Amino acid sequence: MATAVKKADLTAEEIWAVQPGERRSVGVIHIVILALLIGIGFVVGAFGSISFPLGFGVNFFWTGIAVQQVGAVWFGGWGVLAGAIFPFFSNAIAGTPFYVSLAYVPANAVQAFLPAWAFRKFKADPRLKSGRDYLILFIAMVVSSAFGALWSPLVVLRGFGLLTTESVPLFIWGWFGGNVIAGVVFNFILLKALSAVVIRTPAFVKRWWS
Amino acid sequence: MNKTLLGYVPKESPIYEVHPFVKLFFLLVVSLFPLFVAAPEWNFGLLIFLLLLMFLCRIDMRTLRIYVPVAISMGSIILLSYTVLGGRHAEFQVVASVFGFPIYWERLRDALVVYFRILPMIATMVFFLSTSRERDVIVAMRSIKMPFVVTYVFAMALRSAGMVLEDFHIVRQAEQARGFDTTGKSLAYKIRKYVMYMIPLFALSLRRAEEFTNALVARGYSFTGKAARIKRADYILSHYSYKLHDYILILLIAFAFGLLLYLSLGLGFFDLNKSAFIRWLHQVLS
Repeated sequence: MATAVKKADLTAEEIWAVQPGERRSVGVIHIVILALLIGIGFVVGAFGSISFPLGFGVNFFWTGIAVQQVGAVWFGGWGVLAGAIFPFFSNAIAGTPFYVSLAYVPANAVQAFLPAWAFRKFKADPRLKSGRDYLILFIAMVVSSAFGALWSPLVVLRGFGLLTTESVPLFIWGWFGGNVIAGVVFNFILLKALSAVVIRTPAFVKRWWS
Repeated sequence: MNKTLLGYVPKESPIYEVHPFVKLFFLLVVSLFPLFVAAPEWNFGLLIFLLLLMFLCRIDMRTLRIYVPVAISMGSIILLSYTVLGGRHAEFQVVASVFGFPIYWERLRDALVVYFRILPMIATMVFFLSTSRERDVIVAMRSIKMPFVVTYVFAMALRSAGMVLEDFHIVRQAEQARGFDTTGKSLAYKIRKYVMYMIPLFALSLRRAEEFTNALVARGYSFTGKAARIKRADYILSHYSYKLHDYILILLIAFAFGLLLYLSLGLGFFDLNKSAFIRWLHQVLS
């Protein structure tokens, strides 16, 4: 468990730094957070998958990206794990075959991992206090979604023989646009609105697991 | 009635005579079947078989209605992807022309093959979700000796999905009570305002996380440490035991898969050139 740092206003550096005397370890709360993130992602992701489907689990507007990326920024490895696992459930409910969903796991894991890594590496403030924080989040969103958009149609859908070469660009742009637009709509607002509270809870993850 | 992941199934349904692991095994293995079958009539046969199983298991077939738009949109996208977006190929046989786009026989055939592969894969998933309760998934995972913490997280995740859905309705009703109404508004507006549900949902979940944690710690659960080292009796598994018919079903599914592999990879039995349906369709369109 983490002992919260009591200070009026933390800087971005301080948010990610483990303070002298501060004890951080993996606890039950992280397991609970993992389960709850999967639960939220399941519901929110299924909404996007059912409402704006392009096909085979690719959507024009995937709301699950918010849980995937914001969850990973706040809760590190637990958020990344949840981000990789919950699309499996939300896709299943929306009618994506089992093995196609399974093959999306690497794409979803990277989409969750990159923003979490960028925030920790470049010591960005999850409360989005400066233009630099916004830029880091935006670039991480774009790069991670680009990876997902390339992996899923090129490796998964082509691998399963579900697409022709000519129709691959539609799915690449569908995945990329669907994730980036939803990310722009939700990620900034969620981080801005809730980060100040989350960073003071014992569930917040400064390193990767605690 | 038993509440399953996708709906309700009567307690008297024969599916509850089957061990949950058999259902999981069925999902994992039968989902692979269409990947080894190219001939659409065989995949269609598998789809009919799965629908028949659902009927026999007394699944409320009305729950399948939500998948009709999915099947239609997926079919349309596959068709568009293979025909209009399929490019121009001088080597292919043109069977029709729509708004100047040549429709090739080879592309149409491939679209049908893909579509009839996807349908039974979706049906297998729907069958599993329609017949499995949260508890069944947990029992299936524990019976293959998954670590306790993994099954516990899965159980909690499935349970929390239900809670999040309930929270979502509460938040929506609270916002409607305060005059928030998206009726008649544009899709862009509705999407923008969706964040009004997301923030309370996240906030509620964070609060829930602390409540959950306190409850778990109070009951002696621990991720690491003493409590985790104590061997606990697996109460839930004591309610489920494998019966003779479970072993027979597992063997039958495994045998069916082995036979399918032999027929498909060894003899090419399910190849397109052996498909009576494809031959018939080619004759009709030529």
